[in-house]
Amino acid sequence: MTAQPDASAPAPDQVSLGIGKLIVPSLIGGLVALTLGIYGRLHHPTGVVVNVAGFTSAGYAKSWLATIATVFAIVQVVSALVMYGKIPRVSAPSWIGTLHQWSGRIAFLVAVPVAIDCLYGLGFQTYSTRVLIHSLLGCAFFGAFTVKMLILPKRGLPNWTLPLAGAVVFTLLVGVWFTSAFWFFSTFGVHR
Amino acid sequence: MKLNTPLVTLLVGAALAVGVLVTSAVWSASTSSASASSAAGATSRTSPAAPAAPAGPATTATSAPSSSSASAPVTSQATAAAPTAAPGATASVNQADVPSQADYVAQVQGGGAAVAVSVHGDQAVAYICNGHAVAAWLRGSAKNGKLDLTGKNGARLMVDYRKADAAGYIMADGTKYTFSAPVVHREPSERRPPGLYEATATVHGVKIKAGWIVLPNGRQVGSVEYFADSAIPPTAEAPVLDLATGTASYAGITLVASLISGTTGSGF
Repeated sequence: MTAQPDASAPAPDQVSLGIGKLIVPSLIGGLVALTLGIYGRLHHPTGVVVNVAGFTSAGYAKSWLATIATVFAIVQVVSALVMYGKIPRVSAPSWIGTLHQWSGRIAFLVAVPVAIDCLYGLGFQTYSTRVLIHSLLGCAFFGAFTVKMLILPKRGLPNWTLPLAGAVVFTLLVGVWFTSAFWFFSTFGVHR
Repeated sequence: MKLNTPLVTLLVGAALAVGVLVTSAVWSASTSSASASSAAGATSRTSPAAPAAPAGPATTATSAPSSSSASAPVTSQATAAAPTAAPGATASVNQADVPSQADYVAQVQGGGAAVAVSVHGDQAVAYICNGHAVAAWLRGSAKNGKLDLTGKNGARLMVDYRKADAAGYIMADGTKYTFSAPVVHREPSERRPPGLYEATATVHGVKIKAGWIVLPNGRQVGSVEYFADSAIPPTAEAPVLDLATGTASYAGITLVASLISGTTGSGF
């Protein structure tokens, strides 16, 4: 029996069938988050590893890369709002979908080396509220992003699933940025 | 069949993660065998740039009745920075006036920065900090009353030193500070006199190095370098150094400060 999505008012059994498609991606996303957290906790941190050219130290390299990722994430949110027609008097141009996809990819790929450096060099830490929240949100972010990537190609999902997944991913990344790059710039000053 | 591009994104990200992880592991392994491990026991990663000057041995200072003269009062603070030519470039220092060991401390330029210079035989150590983002440790040799010390990120000190004072300039963070620092006279009973103090520690896996300059009027200026082994360590304000105990509290950890003094040889 095929269930065709009805965008205006899905029948209750179709809604539950739609939500059922979220289970496996959510489990996979949860597994990703859990794996990162456990690795970060078990692995003995080595201190600083990355030394990216152009920055005065690894702390600044990571803070700036994290900020770049967050800027692209903001582009994600704005382009999504345009795509869903939520910006008054702004109609979605033809390239908005491409912008959304690529800004998302760039944000994710820029965040990956930063996260590896964090996990490998500093580990999952709990010695202060800031680092605990950062550690938790950091793992959760990658899990949430995994979920969003896995549900994107799926049909028959309720209308709110993609925006919700996107909002969760964005909120987590902003939280990760606030507990790391923002704190770093506030403590040591803003320079390269 | 249409390509599942979100899955491609995930897989590219995962591949990138593995690549960075493997590179980190390989690089960590190679630097751990090359560089000496820190005193804390956990190996800390240094950046591939120029090696940092090693920190002095952490010995607690005891005031030794050495070259300090008991009767001479501590002279007033250094003059403000006037863009003069480096004194060392022209006239040579009268060798009879050159001390074999001395400590100098002064404030520079009204911006709140302080500089400390210690000479012990043919070695010298200097530190400049402003309690914010400027901090630099410099080391080098002392010869014939002239110092030419260097530190990270282009830090440079060129100074003529005599028994009464040391004068010259220090370059740090792209700024040139001209100063004239009077010699520090220490009472033999003074356990923690004015001068230069340092503390190193590994805090939550991150190596930090703190430096304080205690001025003769009791004021102190201090900065903390984070990731102290990196080529340009991020710098922030140091916690207050309690001169009664010689300790400071930082991120829940007690730092034990040791004096760097040319007259006692501590830190050399």
